[in-house]
Amino acid sequence: MSGILTAAVHPTIPDLITFIVAGLMVLAGAVGVILSRNPVHSALSLVLTLFGIAVLFIAQQAEFLAAVQVIVYAGAIVVLFLFVIMFLGVDKRENIESDPLRGQRPLAVVLMVVVLAAVIALGVNAHWATGVHHLVGRTGTPASNTARLGRSVFTTYLFAFEATAGLLVIAVVGAVVLARRPPESTGEADLEESEALGTGSDADGELGDGSAAALPEAAAAADESAEGMAPAGSEPA
Amino acid sequence: MLHVAFLIPLFPLVGFVVLLTFGRRLGNPLAGWIGTIAVAGAFVATIITFAGLLGRPSNAREFTQSYFSWIPVGGLQVKWAVLVDPLSIFMCLFVTGVSMLIHLYSIGYMHEDRDYSKFFIYLNAFVFSMVLLVLANNLLVTFVGWEGVGVCSYWLVAFWFERDSAASAGKKAFMYNRIGDVGFLLAMFLIFSKVGSLNYLTIFSHTHLLGSATATAAVLLLFLAATGKSAQIPLFNWLPDAMEGPTPVSALIHAATMVTAGVYLLCRMNPILGLSSDGRWVIAIIGCATAFVAATIASSQHDIKKVLAFSTVSQIGYMVLAVGCGAYIAALFLMVCHAFYKGLLFLAAGSVIHGLEDEQELARMGALRKWLPWTFATFLVGWLAIAGIPPLAGFWSKGDVLANVYAKSFPLYVAGVITAFLTAYYMSRLFYLTFTGKARWQEAAGDQPAHHTPHESPWVMRIPLLVLAFCAFFGGVLDLPWTNRGLNNFLGPVFAGTLYHDNLSMTSQWVLLAIDGVIAVAGLAVAWVLWRVTASRPALTPAFLERVWYWDDFYDALIGRPGQAVARFSATVIDAKVIDGAVNGVASLVKSSSTGARRLQTGYVRNYALGIVLGLAAILVFMVSRTWWS
Amino acid sequence: MSALAVVTAHSTIVLPHIRYLAILPEIVMLGGAVLLLGIASLVRRPLRVTVSTVGTIVIAGTSLGLALWQWADISSHGPYTAIDHAVVVDGFSVLITITVACAMILSALVGDGYLRREGVDGCEFHVLAMVSATGAMFMGEANDLIIVFLGLEIMSIALYVLAAMNHRRAASGEAALKYFVLGGFSSAVFIYGVALTYGATGTTNLTQIADFLSHNVIASNGVLLAGLSLLLVGFLFKVAAVPFHMWTPDVYQGAPSPVTGFMAAVAKAGGFAALLRVFVSSFGTLQSDWRPILYAVAVITLLFGAGVALVQRDVKRVLAYSSINHAGFVLLGVEAATAQGVSASLYYLFTYTFMTIGAFAVVTLLGRRGDGHHDIASYRGLAGRQPLLALAFAVLLLAQAGAPFTTGFLAKFQVVDASVNAGSVPLAVIAMVSAAIAAFFYLRIGLIMYTPVAGKGFLPGIEPLDDDEANAGPSGESETDGTGDAAPAELSAGNGQRPVWSGTEGAVVVRTQLNAELLLDTAPGEVQVLDPSEDIVEADAVDDETAAESAAEDTAKVPVPALAALAIGLCVAVTVVFGVIPAPLIDFAHKATLLFIP
Repeated sequence: MSGILTAAVHPTIPDLITFIVAGLMVLAGAVGVILSRNPVHSALSLVLTLFGIAVLFIAQQAEFLAAVQVIVYAGAIVVLFLFVIMFLGVDKRENIESDPLRGQRPLAVVLMVVVLAAVIALGVNAHWATGVHHLVGRTGTPASNTARLGRSVFTTYLFAFEATAGLLVIAVVGAVVLARRPPESTGEADLEESEALGTGSDADGELGDGSAAALPEAAAAADESAEGMAPAGSEPA
Repeated sequence: MLHVAFLIPLFPLVGFVVLLTFGRRLGNPLAGWIGTIAVAGAFVATIITFAGLLGRPSNAREFTQSYFSWIPVGGLQVKWAVLVDPLSIFMCLFVTGVSMLIHLYSIGYMHEDRDYSKFFIYLNAFVFSMVLLVLANNLLVTFVGWEGVGVCSYWLVAFWFERDSAASAGKKAFMYNRIGDVGFLLAMFLIFSKVGSLNYLTIFSHTHLLGSATATAAVLLLFLAATGKSAQIPLFNWLPDAMEGPTPVSALIHAATMVTAGVYLLCRMNPILGLSSDGRWVIAIIGCATAFVAATIASSQHDIKKVLAFSTVSQIGYMVLAVGCGAYIAALFLMVCHAFYKGLLFLAAGSVIHGLEDEQELARMGALRKWLPWTFATFLVGWLAIAGIPPLAGFWSKGDVLANVYAKSFPLYVAGVITAFLTAYYMSRLFYLTFTGKARWQEAAGDQPAHHTPHESPWVMRIPLLVLAFCAFFGGVLDLPWTNRGLNNFLGPVFAGTLYHDNLSMTSQWVLLAIDGVIAVAGLAVAWVLWRVTASRPALTPAFLERVWYWDDFYDALIGRPGQAVARFSATVIDAKVIDGAVNGVASLVKSSSTGARRLQTGYVRNYALGIVLGLAAILVFMVSRTWWS
Repeated sequence: MSALAVVTAHSTIVLPHIRYLAILPEIVMLGGAVLLLGIASLVRRPLRVTVSTVGTIVIAGTSLGLALWQWADISSHGPYTAIDHAVVVDGFSVLITITVACAMILSALVGDGYLRREGVDGCEFHVLAMVSATGAMFMGEANDLIIVFLGLEIMSIALYVLAAMNHRRAASGEAALKYFVLGGFSSAVFIYGVALTYGATGTTNLTQIADFLSHNVIASNGVLLAGLSLLLVGFLFKVAAVPFHMWTPDVYQGAPSPVTGFMAAVAKAGGFAALLRVFVSSFGTLQSDWRPILYAVAVITLLFGAGVALVQRDVKRVLAYSSINHAGFVLLGVEAATAQGVSASLYYLFTYTFMTIGAFAVVTLLGRRGDGHHDIASYRGLAGRQPLLALAFAVLLLAQAGAPFTTGFLAKFQVVDASVNAGSVPLAVIAMVSAAIAAFFYLRIGLIMYTPVAGKGFLPGIEPLDDDEANAGPSGESETDGTGDAAPAELSAGNGQRPVWSGTEGAVVVRTQLNAELLLDTAPGEVQVLDPSEDIVEADAVDDETAAESAAEDTAKVPVPALAALAIGLCVAVTVVFGVIPAPLIDFAHKATLLFIP
């Protein structure tokens, strides 16, 4: 291990070019996802990002992962996204203009820059224990790459691999629970009642001064926040 | 046999729990009997443990039995454990024994009371706390018991809380005891900070860690605790007020057991006391002063229970005096004898009060000899015992104390002898006014009608009287001066190295005893001359003594009124201007900051995410700054 | 790892030895959940709540029993790692497993009554909760950052869905979605942290990270610090430390009440377990880097949690901020980064589980059908209507406030003690100040419960204090003093509630009135708002009739199902019994630290 630490090898020019191009693809795709007005465009931008990552995997000699990336993510998952978007209607626009917190967006940009700068500042000139290219070139064929991944999954990460099953179970069960309609038999009255009482979730009512006033405020706030949730995609058709 | 020690606190605890759960359903008198049986069980367990202890050689009569660890926080390791040694088992014997008798008595005394079962709940809780206090192997558990008896005392004094006087007496007792408790706590902290343990045996084996100044401070703080609990100057005047409680309570808590807890604490901590000669002098002088002052006050009281209450204060003053002189065994000897005869006197007084339908004024008694023969006979024994007439218990125990004081300091001895004279005098006055002379209760006095013919108490109340009378008569055999001194031998190992030896010759001892006897007889005689016929002699009951040396007025002037003035000042100025201003200031601060917080808490996910990123950015910037600086 | 040892494609794979006892509690919990789900999908009708509850209690009980077996095993044979060092079984992990299993059992008891009341059939609540509990257990015994992440995700995803369980409340779905989006965000941050840590150390295994850091002195460890920071953010989000806490009030309020209790207990236990293990043991050599951060976070968490809770009027929100405050206290123990600190934190987590689930169990009951009555005003006079319930709630709140003779006091005492011993005296002082502030809002709920409802005069129901609770004697009586029948509004306003929240001096009268209003639950429309402060909106927006109706409903007794009563009783019992006799639990937490292998 100490050998690796000392043997830092500079990347070759082609490697560098590949990295820059792929990195730009990833970033452009990511920016596209959040900036596109049309959800379909967002989904397609995501494909760009995922392709870029696949390229980076190849540059790291992880051909198997690159293939999986393209097949599973860019293929299956993005297609699923597109289905859902089409199903719900492509022309839904969300109102993200109202901003309760002044300066949210500029602040977000500033913080993003700060975080990025800080991570880069910390990462540059730091010692990395991994990511160093091997001195003697490739260590094996693409096939052995797959084999080693498999070996890793069944030895070091065996428990993690099995625990993932739990994650999948919960994902499926959760999806079913959320998708299932509540039984019709139970009346609608309860819903109305609970809404009327203003159990909105951001009723940070103040006790003394606002005590008498907090109820209507809470109800209003509940409406507001339902709106506020919208960007996360809560609105069904 | 020693392993039954855990049953001693367990029995009253179980009784307490059972009564608490089913008390009301068990009703009258079953609840009382269950309470009595629980305490009797504790008494039997004590006797068995005592027998086991006697079976061991005298230098190995000490063992600790741990049950479970209670507080294991950091350096503070406290266990629930009992320390069985001659001192604790001796205390337990008379505490449980006297408690048992008083429980029995209460079955009769309280039988008409509405809260019959509640009374026994409190009594059992009291016995549990008292036994815990005595048996604990460390200061903290002792303190738990100490507070427990304090709380039970408060509940029981204010038992008839519908009466304003009872409620305020309860509060007074509680407040005075709190002052003492502060002393206990500070002493505990002080000792823990120096020794690093609260365990008695550990403390005693590490007394060298306490410097002499620290030891004096610890002794004085412990003594402060004792003055609160044992009603010594300056914290003594809660005890007379505590007579508002039912008479069995006065007998049990405020005469025989709880008030001696302070003396017990001082005896228990004798290795610490041994380190500070100054501290012991303070104790001795305060004890002597209390004995004298309380005796003068007792001479001029008009309420039968108040006389007995001041008498108790005075007698405990003797015990404290003995402790101050280092005569721990004499103090304990007096303590047990006092428990017998003072318990007896209170119970007999209760019988009188009971017979006269809650009359407590001496002026409204008299000539009860004929109507209350049993009470009269037992009271007679108690009277002679406390007056110090040979060969009753009081004569020997008081003689023992006075002999030690004589050897230690002559001025204190003189004050003690004068107090002994006063004791004989006021007790005789009490006796004559109650049982001889004219039957003043037959006359209507002022707006109060004449009483009905008094009735003798039922047998459940008489049995305890008889048993206690027997003990008060023969209690002296525990430690007779010319024998091989059983109590001295038994308790000796506990006080090894700290006990004061008077080294008086046999002759001087006998002379001192003869003086005691003469003084006692003189007191009786003087009282006989003065009070045989007349019930009122204002010249002998000056307001100064009647009003307790103006002690309460002194406190009122010193603390009460300035306190009220401060309160008024704080109500009008500090509270209105400063506090309200501060509160309003804080409130507006909170309000503005909460408004700010509320602005942040918008309900919008993107704002919340911003918060996370803000935190992340701050942390990362901090990390960057660290890597750059290093 | 060595690059020269190239593995050929044909060599056989030697599977690591799997020591099943190491993960048996988790296997039982997860397997039981799947089994229950399978049974539910095989029967034609939705599974009855009773079946799910009994099944869950049996499964969680078995898991608890197995955890105790593990405890006995490691007590005699010592701690060990298993499955190629992916998991570690030591006192620490077993204590977390026990905590989580206890939380699961209690939540199943509470949830039973809730599901019946809301008419929800089926086993999803229980299945999801059990899977979530499994995730928390994974976090407790993870010895690999990947396992930590998986545990975190398993736990969280189940919690997201649980929060959305109540279909009939819009707030429930909203809460779940907020939690999900922010949780996903924090998970992304966390996994980035894992990646950077891997980059800096070449491994994700916690033991190997610790080894690496103790054997290599890295001159410029920026990557590691960046990874560490990102991991920290992920954990702090889960345990709801300021400023990563903002989801907490909304989610706690919106989620169904039994879920909130479960979430509060389990997410904290899991999050702190992983935080403690990763930071104190793996990154122990970097203490000087991360302790200042935790110091700062603990300070703002303590103050913010206590301060903002003061101005809440929804009990669930109060408890949410209180949980933030509690997180600050546990952070004290983490910040100390000593064995004593770890022990204190574990003790805190274990006891907090009982306090919070018990409190939320009471809140569940008082939420009534629809789970919507959480306004503090609806707690008025509870002591008169249901003295035992009020007493239990009061005890649990006092415990959270840190009253002596409860586990809450000991928990606070220990973390503060650990903090002082670790040299963070100012932090300890701030913690105590925040405890003092926090005590106020706990006491306020208690006071409101023990104040009779207006117009009914002296409630006869309050009397039970004098008999069976004779030990509560004089103190119990004082609470009913002074609230006589004449003009109760003025009395109680003057009695207990000073106008603490008044902004400016001029408006004190109004505010007193408003406080009385709050306490007395009169129709808000009647109050003349004299203070033209911008925050006060005219109150007559609420229909008087609705207010009157809800007031009438508020004064009705709530049914207390036997199982919920059992759960509350257990919580109170643990809180009080181990508060009076602290030794067993403290020893337990202490031993859990001794067996802790870094």
